[in-house]
Amino acid sequence: MDAKNAIKDIFFQVFPNLAEKDFSWDKEQKDYANWDSFAQLNLITFAEAKFNIVLSLEESISIKSANDLLQCIQAHLK
Amino acid sequence: MSIINFLKNCVEKYPTKLALVDGKKSLTFRELYQEVQNFSSSIAVFNKKNIISLCSENSAFFIIAYLGIINSGKMVHLLQPEISENNLLNQLRTSDSEAIVCSNIVKESLVKHTSLKIPVLEFNELLSRPNLGMMTYKTNELAYLIYTSGTTAEPKGVVISHSMIDFTTKNIVNVLGYSNSDVDILPLPLYHSFGLGCFHTSLFVGSTLVLLKNANNLEYVLESLKKHHATTLAAIPATLTKFLKFDRKILDDHFSNIRLIITNSTSIPKNTIQNFKQILKNGHLATYYGLTEASRSTFMIFDKTDGREESVGKAALGVQIKIVKESQGNSQAGEIWIKGNNVIKKYWNNTEADKNIVDDWLRTGDIGYFDEEGYLFLTGRNDDIVNIGGEKVAPNEIEEIVKQLPGIEDVAAFGIDHEIFGQVVKLNVVKSKDSNLDKSKILNHCIKNLEKFKIPAKIDFVESIPKTDYGKVKRFMLK
Repeated sequence: MDAKNAIKDIFFQVFPNLAEKDFSWDKEQKDYANWDSFAQLNLITFAEAKFNIVLSLEESISIKSANDLLQCIQAHLK
Repeated sequence: MSIINFLKNCVEKYPTKLALVDGKKSLTFRELYQEVQNFSSSIAVFNKKNIISLCSENSAFFIIAYLGIINSGKMVHLLQPEISENNLLNQLRTSDSEAIVCSNIVKESLVKHTSLKIPVLEFNELLSRPNLGMMTYKTNELAYLIYTSGTTAEPKGVVISHSMIDFTTKNIVNVLGYSNSDVDILPLPLYHSFGLGCFHTSLFVGSTLVLLKNANNLEYVLESLKKHHATTLAAIPATLTKFLKFDRKILDDHFSNIRLIITNSTSIPKNTIQNFKQILKNGHLATYYGLTEASRSTFMIFDKTDGREESVGKAALGVQIKIVKESQGNSQAGEIWIKGNNVIKKYWNNTEADKNIVDDWLRTGDIGYFDEEGYLFLTGRNDDIVNIGGEKVAPNEIEEIVKQLPGIEDVAAFGIDHEIFGQVVKLNVVKSKDSNLDKSKILNHCIKNLEKFKIPAKIDFVESIPKTDYGKVKRFMLK
């Protein structure tokens, strides 16, 4: 599974009520009903486990969309 | 005094004053009382038991339903919207609730739990019923029931009476100076005692409460401060720390009218306190220490007491706190015991948990000490509960869920320090021989079976878990 699909997968795991049609790479945290600070922590944890990386606090806080998470992961995988 | 009397007093003194703002919906005190009475009438059909559960995100409907249930002489059982099925069923069984009142969003997820045996009704369904007109209701000393993880794996029911709310609210008002000229921004969940206590305070003094769904969108919180000419804000320490990412000029501008920020005691970073002392040119940052069982037992106003940024303050008026040391060592620290009118007399149908209350003293399980001037400092807990941004989690619960997975030989959950949440859960896992289990599989299983704040933030695969001769995990060796 490539990084893009893996991240999309993570979003559907962390937000189980998220419908396929409602997923967008640019959709921001504020547009998700349940993206609170615990969901943010879950997204980071799932990504760290999947890609075997560790994100810094700065990186973790800066993630506000699926696209932000993708870019962050890709920077670590380079 | 009942909290319904808080509302009635406001209706009498300020009938046309804005009581509540929730997005585009706003209500004066008179309108709020009318809606509360309508709601009480709509639930009159539930007349077999004395408890109704309420499960909703923040909204004006939450407040109307909360007050409406209490106004009808019943007790509210507060449920967290993202509760796991196990926890939900346990709470409903032990609370003996007659029905669940909820928002439409919550109803969608609740009705998936096919084992629910009681009616689940959405707010609008109830309010669309014919109004039965003025009714009289019996009074009830008890206001609400809330479950807390406390010091054991099984959540414990905590019942809060009107007299406890009255006592605590008056202490909050006296110490923090709330008044009817305040405009209070509340982005905290109302189904927790911190958020609910803030709402009670607004209702007591007759200030305007601006309710936000949450604090996820910090820009929106800042906009709300300005738009509503807010004078107070309630926020957890993690939110305050995140605000510091904004440009200082923006913060200075948006907080210029704020006279008070109230936060709670879950490990506030020193840097956050120091920054907000400067940002709040015309106000104060304050915190408190308390448990659901003993709300607001101390208060601390930071900018008047330089140098004590790690203290949770002094005991509130009428609240006694003592430090009970188990051994005669040199350390001043011991278990914190609390007594006062803010402390529960017993737990809800839980004789085992009642053992934590001795001669009206509540054994908190928290460890702390007083300095020479009577300021309380917390140093840890004498049990294994993990405190994640104020959410308390028993490690056993997480271990039991993880153990369900094939390929797990042993597991230990414990808290580790975290810059934002104070603590998060870490798992040490011993895999069975030849198991192909990976971290992602464990997380997938956890997210399907646990609330999101209980999901482990770190997982390590290890060779063994340190245990006592009796087989109990030595968690202190893992941290």
